[in-house]
Amino acid sequence: MTNNFSVSGSPHIHKQGSISRIMWTVVISLIPAGIAGIIIFGWDTLWITLAAVVAAVLTELIFGILTKKKVTVLDGSAVITGVLLAFNLPSGVPLWLPVVGAVFSIAIGKQVFGGIGQNIFNPALVGRVFLMASWPKYMTTFTAPFKFDAITSATPLAALKAGRVLEHISYLDLFLGKHGGCIGEVCILALLIGAALLFIKGYISWHIPITYILTTAVFVYIFGGNKLFGGDWLFHILSGGLILGAFFMATDYVATPLTAKGQLIFGVGCGLLTAVIRIWGGYPEGVSYAILMMNAATPLIGRYTKCRIYGSR
Amino acid sequence: MKNLIKEFTKGIIKENPTFVLALGLCPTLAVSVSVANAIGMGLAATFVLLGSSIIISWVRNFIPAKIRIPCFIVIIATFVTVTELCLKAYSPVLDRALGIYVPLIVVNCIVLGRAEAFACKNNLSRSFLDGLGMGDGFTLALVLISAIREFLGSGQLLGHTLIEGFEPVFVFGMPSGALLVIGLLLGFFNFLKNKKI
Amino acid sequence: MNIQEFLSIFISSVFIYNVILSRFLGLCPFVAISKDTKQAAAMSAAVTFVITASSAVTWIIYRFLLLPFNLTYLRTLAFVLVIAALVQLIEMIIRKTSPVLYRAFGIYLTLITTNCAVLGAAVLNIDMFFIGGKAVAGSFYYSVFQGICMGLGYTLAMLLMSGIRERLELCNVPKALKDFPLAFIIASILSLSFMGFSGFKP
Repeated sequence: MTNNFSVSGSPHIHKQGSISRIMWTVVISLIPAGIAGIIIFGWDTLWITLAAVVAAVLTELIFGILTKKKVTVLDGSAVITGVLLAFNLPSGVPLWLPVVGAVFSIAIGKQVFGGIGQNIFNPALVGRVFLMASWPKYMTTFTAPFKFDAITSATPLAALKAGRVLEHISYLDLFLGKHGGCIGEVCILALLIGAALLFIKGYISWHIPITYILTTAVFVYIFGGNKLFGGDWLFHILSGGLILGAFFMATDYVATPLTAKGQLIFGVGCGLLTAVIRIWGGYPEGVSYAILMMNAATPLIGRYTKCRIYGSR
Repeated sequence: MKNLIKEFTKGIIKENPTFVLALGLCPTLAVSVSVANAIGMGLAATFVLLGSSIIISWVRNFIPAKIRIPCFIVIIATFVTVTELCLKAYSPVLDRALGIYVPLIVVNCIVLGRAEAFACKNNLSRSFLDGLGMGDGFTLALVLISAIREFLGSGQLLGHTLIEGFEPVFVFGMPSGALLVIGLLLGFFNFLKNKKI
Repeated sequence: MNIQEFLSIFISSVFIYNVILSRFLGLCPFVAISKDTKQAAAMSAAVTFVITASSAVTWIIYRFLLLPFNLTYLRTLAFVLVIAALVQLIEMIIRKTSPVLYRAFGIYLTLITTNCAVLGAAVLNIDMFFIGGKAVAGSFYYSVFQGICMGLGYTLAMLLMSGIRERLELCNVPKALKDFPLAFIIASILSLSFMGFSGFKP
């Protein structure tokens, strides 16, 4: 009964849909990317996604029973976490990997904070960085697109970091996802279709994704090339997990600021961190880390971007 | 006699410095990557704790209250320096593995904390047992944490592979894994404590 | 003395080898005082100040007292006493010159004497910038700068942590995990996130 009341700081946002409707719409919006993943990387995509989703839902169910709270598996949030985690994995991973990752995401990324609505960090990303730190070899072995018998290839960003440029890769290839990478991040077209759905329904606003992508592009343009103002910003936007991250993970309701100003700061922060890691860091991709760091900063951002209420200074 | 035994055992369970009092966490997390290092640090810290507890308890009536903290620090630092030099001489490998955390024993909250809270107020035998108990409790906690971390992080214990084909979870060898292990262990012990009450 | 070195020190002290999240120094106040942002800010400011000052003083003592007279084995003892004295001195100065400031972080200053971060920074400086018993060129500036950066890293971790914990006050965390355990789990995730900066090559 008490779960119908949530105590949280203001401002409170009212949306037409209930939580369930929003969550399941997000799941639907991720389906195009999933289909693209299956086309590009084969049926492994489906098994990995299913493994992650089942593990996530089961973990959430077990926690619900253990803590004697209302069982929340039907609201779709665990499913989203499972899907997003799976989309952040290469297609060649053994099936126990997404399972372990999903359990970690739900247990440590969400439940220890008190469950839905209370997590500080995006659970899928928590799982992903855990997997990355624990089994780096599996997490960085990518199969070539359309070659279902596991010929490994580098992702465009990894090739860039190593100083080589992948031959025969055009912007169109990047846009359609015809290159190595994580199963849900490569097909920009499919991701944008899904994002469009969320925009139309009003479930995400432009503030975070657009500022995020723009900041990364500008920074990479200025500093990312061999000389100042020579960076290939279009390449960077279309590569790696930027689109997936900006539209689907940086927009997590719970782990990001509530006010418009806060969201702009969040987007810029994510963009800066992503660009810095991509250009100068050891890892070729920085989206996961950038979003998590900004998640951590969100409470502080919220403190300093409170709406003006009567009588405030 | 029973009281004396209790002085010793309280350091191991009831008032375990790591899991109950949450003291001395800095070296705990840093050296718990392998059981060998953990044992080394535990013994070093126990030596310092024991030595300083004895001396401080012995001279407790001669130290003016106002300057007692600096005096404790000097006494403790002396023992730490002795430990440092012995390690460098007899076990350079361990010394390198423990790194800066050996000199840091001097500001280890456990050592100074016990000196201030116990050794300067109690007689020699009680202080001796307290120091020994706390040191052992600390060592046991270190060994527990490092056993978990070493096994999960590298599939080995004390350098011996336990399970063939076990994929090590590298994160446990890293700082993040250490923080996770201690967080979950603290939570586990809290859970046990709550159930008892 | 070059910019590369300074930049490298900055990135590694603040992010990659963050004094709390990676080197585990200064954990006691980190879990105890990080529940309130104002307190956390005050503590961090005090720590940064003391680390910087002690980095300078301990360097001088090591270079001009311990090294020439072959007393380097007295390093631990000397540093600890110096830090304790320094903290007393700073406390006295602040109390005389700015009662406001003293009220803000007076009590934390005494706690800092036993803060591993301060002694740890001093020892690290020596280990890193004295090679083979001789001071590396510019090591004084590197040491002081590293002290400042470690303070900054400390501040960053404390502020992030306090913001998060303040927000968690409104959430229903499982009972066994309240306070310390959850603080460590959060620190673990923070540490994972900061790993994004590893391998940094400016």
